[in-house]
Amino acid sequence: MQMTEPTTRIETNATVRERDPVAPDPSSEVFAVRDLNVYYGDLRAVADVNLDVYERQITAFIGPSGCGKSTVLRCFNRMNDLIDIARVDGSVRYRGIDLYDAAVDPVAVRRRIGMVFQKPNPFPKSIYDNVAYGPRVAGQKGNLDEVVEQSLRNAGLWDEVKDRLDDSALGMSGGQQQRLCIARAIAVNPDVLLMDEPCSALDPIATGRIEELMKEIQNDYTIVIVTHNMQQAARVSDRTAFFTAELDESTGQRRGRLVELDDTGTIFSNPSDERTEAYVTGRFG
Amino acid sequence: MPTLASRAWIAGIEVLLFLVLSLGFALAEYFVSGLFTDFGPSNFWLAFVVLAGWNAWHFAGSQTALGAAAGHYVLTLDGEPASVLTTAVRQLIRFGVLYGIPVLAIDFDLRVGLLVWLAVAVVIRSTPAHRAPWDLAAGTILASDIGPPQGLAPLPVVRDAGDLRLDPRRAKLDRRASRLMFLAGLTSVVISALIVWNIFTEAWTFVADDEFSWGILTDRGWFPRDGEFDLSTLFVGTLWITGIAMLVAGPVGLGVAFYLSEYASPRVRGMVKPLIETLASVPSVVLGLFAISFIAPEILQRIFDDIGIFSLLAAGIGVGILTVPIVASISEDAMRAVPMELREASYGLGGRKVTTALRVVFPAALSGISAAAIVGISRAIGETMVVFIAAGGNGVFNTDPVDQGQTITAAMASLGAGTDQVAGSGLAFQSLYFLGALLFVMTMLLNIVSDVIVRRFRQVY
Amino acid sequence: MAGTSTTVDLGDLRARRGADVRGQIFLVLLVASVILAFAMVGAVFYDVTLDAWDIISQRFWDFLRMPSSSDPTKAGVAQGIRGSLLIALIVVATFPIGIAGAIYLEEYADDTWSTRLIQVTVRNLAGVPSIVYGLLGLAVFVQSLRGLTGGSSVIAAGLTLAVLVLPVVVITSAEAVRAVPPSLREGAYGLGATQWEVIRTQVVPAALPGILTGTVLAVARALGEAAPLLVIGAAGFYTTGNLDFLEQTQGAFTALPMNIANFARLPAETWRGHAAAASVVLLVLVFIVNLVAIIARARISKKLGR
Repeated sequence: MQMTEPTTRIETNATVRERDPVAPDPSSEVFAVRDLNVYYGDLRAVADVNLDVYERQITAFIGPSGCGKSTVLRCFNRMNDLIDIARVDGSVRYRGIDLYDAAVDPVAVRRRIGMVFQKPNPFPKSIYDNVAYGPRVAGQKGNLDEVVEQSLRNAGLWDEVKDRLDDSALGMSGGQQQRLCIARAIAVNPDVLLMDEPCSALDPIATGRIEELMKEIQNDYTIVIVTHNMQQAARVSDRTAFFTAELDESTGQRRGRLVELDDTGTIFSNPSDERTEAYVTGRFG
Repeated sequence: MPTLASRAWIAGIEVLLFLVLSLGFALAEYFVSGLFTDFGPSNFWLAFVVLAGWNAWHFAGSQTALGAAAGHYVLTLDGEPASVLTTAVRQLIRFGVLYGIPVLAIDFDLRVGLLVWLAVAVVIRSTPAHRAPWDLAAGTILASDIGPPQGLAPLPVVRDAGDLRLDPRRAKLDRRASRLMFLAGLTSVVISALIVWNIFTEAWTFVADDEFSWGILTDRGWFPRDGEFDLSTLFVGTLWITGIAMLVAGPVGLGVAFYLSEYASPRVRGMVKPLIETLASVPSVVLGLFAISFIAPEILQRIFDDIGIFSLLAAGIGVGILTVPIVASISEDAMRAVPMELREASYGLGGRKVTTALRVVFPAALSGISAAAIVGISRAIGETMVVFIAAGGNGVFNTDPVDQGQTITAAMASLGAGTDQVAGSGLAFQSLYFLGALLFVMTMLLNIVSDVIVRRFRQVY
Repeated sequence: MAGTSTTVDLGDLRARRGADVRGQIFLVLLVASVILAFAMVGAVFYDVTLDAWDIISQRFWDFLRMPSSSDPTKAGVAQGIRGSLLIALIVVATFPIGIAGAIYLEEYADDTWSTRLIQVTVRNLAGVPSIVYGLLGLAVFVQSLRGLTGGSSVIAAGLTLAVLVLPVVVITSAEAVRAVPPSLREGAYGLGATQWEVIRTQVVPAALPGILTGTVLAVARALGEAAPLLVIGAAGFYTTGNLDFLEQTQGAFTALPMNIANFARLPAETWRGHAAAASVVLLVLVFIVNLVAIIARARISKKLGR
């Protein structure tokens, strides 16, 4: 590998907490979101969100449709930049660096902060080329066999596909495709994995495998997952954030708002907000 | 995973095979190209490209007996059939690409050819991102990364933000690409501006000329060299051509569209549609020829007593045939855009197919169908060659479709056909641009109207 | 079970044979129009081949190799074939501009009024009659850029036709680019690819079959156009003899459609056969171009899919 090691860091005023470089430190912040507002044109889609995401934890975002949980997720790797009319207000700090600083390039951010999408979206290429795509565009030269094999192993897919690496990825089952997308995201050595309802298009067995996988890779990556499925959040996540959509009286538009964020156990057994309780007990949403 | 020894074997055999095959093809090519040399030296390159392409094709598909045999041979050497077979095929493809180069040079000098081939081979082999060492030919066997990775190193675990700036090289490339694309987009704008500017300024010189008076536009007859520029002569001809063309293309095109969208099974549709579309790829000169060699003598002269070979009627029918596929395809698009639920609702109420087609689909698709008609009209107005060949090109004012006539486009073509003489003779040259401007405005208006209509029906459904 | 029996009146559920006269007539009309359209296609090909048969059967090879001549037994279309091939070559060489323009409109340009204006203009330019492009060619490529093109040369003709088909290339390429699923772009962006990398590695390969179809349509159209060539001063007939490819770029030139128009407009009936034979050559050329596209398209789709 001829990757140049990152040598420069962008100057920031924020203090980065001291932490043990090896052992996971649950108290270290990966993301610190303060007063986040996201607008689509004139519409305020997300209002005044404040939350922290900690290292090597799985943080789940739950809530009814249209509550802005995906929109917030897409601020973490600046995918919202791809929508012409989207505007982000407030601060999203990633390990102390303001992601929306002028010196920060969204392309470099997305390499550090990988994403898995709602619908499996493998490229119409071979399985091998799918996994090798990220390293290749990042300019990694030479033989990528090892990276591909290790990424596929980490995604629990190697044994199923090792004999057909040259076959088109479109010939795989939905669950395999989604795990391929995870392998593809892992191959660029990200720090964080964002998952936007990764199981919504999958059957229960495939969903189970993805959930297992998330548990397995939890020690290596900080994971933020958006899900419609409360049981899923309860099963896999360490911390859960509950979002809801509320009506803005003055404009008549619905906008997303964070209700509360706490340990998953607390959210599901003893939430402090009654809206959360109503949602997790199935009385609303 | 194949062992090191078997890789060496495979690589050795592949190289040998390739050398033998490429030499054989090169020799064949050398002698075969002799056949082409009597075309003159400049055609030699054409011959080369054709032959090399053909050879590469065969190589790539391993359709030759030798290629297939090679695949099998390599297969027996290794225990992993699937991967080795695909490797062999890919190997052959790569050879096919490589192969073009030695042939190119061997035709002149064997040594130079080998050198070039070697250089290209080395370049190709040293390119990054090739999957396996044995994916490449023998040269790679010397490379250090032989053998399956012994105990994979785990992927590095990242726990810092790293550098969140983009690699300047990639950023530069990105900026350059976007600038290049912008320039390309600009080209089309510049071209449209050029067309408009150029046509209208030249047209203005016609109107602004001392010899010009509005009277010359209304004296019966279009004889530019004599200073007679009667527009009504051309308008009458254009109107007849357009009217006749739409009488032909309207019903036929609409019928075809109805059949394809409402009645034809997917299989029938798959056969009928391409056949109709072949009509769209027939050049208009060919239809002009068809008009005077078939429509006029075989059909029209049997119906009308006093019709000649050249007439507005024959030309109009020719233009109509050209317009059929346009009308058919746009109306069919419009009909297929009508949602299935509307049809189902009609069937649910006991409506028959014909009722559904005429009372539900037709009204719903009406805007699209009228857009098709407008585009058809615009095409018919702008069609030149059929009229130029088959309408006779007589500038005498005439309202009888079985007689000869002149249209705007055909008048332009006649002026253009004698460009050199036109340049010096008073207003004739400028009148070309005047007509061009007229034509431009007419078709542009029609196109914009149909465009607006099409947008609307796309939005509704 | 004896006793009450309920009768349900099912009405008449049998198909009413013959009752649907209107439907039958309608279908007959539709089928008739399809048959008529087929007949048109058939008649064009039949008539042209029939008229050309004398030349095809007696001296086809000769016809392909000989230059134009006033002697019907010697005249051929070699110059026209060469002219058409050179024109097609120039047209193909300008395709990247059209494709890149389409990518700009679809991938880079913001959705502003100016972008929309460009899109509308390009769409409408595709409907401007071809002879109007001839005027542009005459003014720009023949007169203003005389030093570059050598006046009424095959280069001027190629550039004129390139401009003529540019809107077609832009529109079809833009449609192909638009049809690429957004999920592919998202996936690539999500892995840290720059916009250019996303376009190069995802958008263009996925859109290639569609782009190919559009460009082939454009080549076919350029091969068949005669009207603009007429205006920029292509000769229907010249006797400078059998010029070399390179020599031919310098001066007088012709193209197959010009040959056909010229033969067809000659008063003597003997030349009709020549026009027909030249038409056959042109049709075969257009057919080959289409065939190449179909094969290439199938290969690319296969590579992209499974």
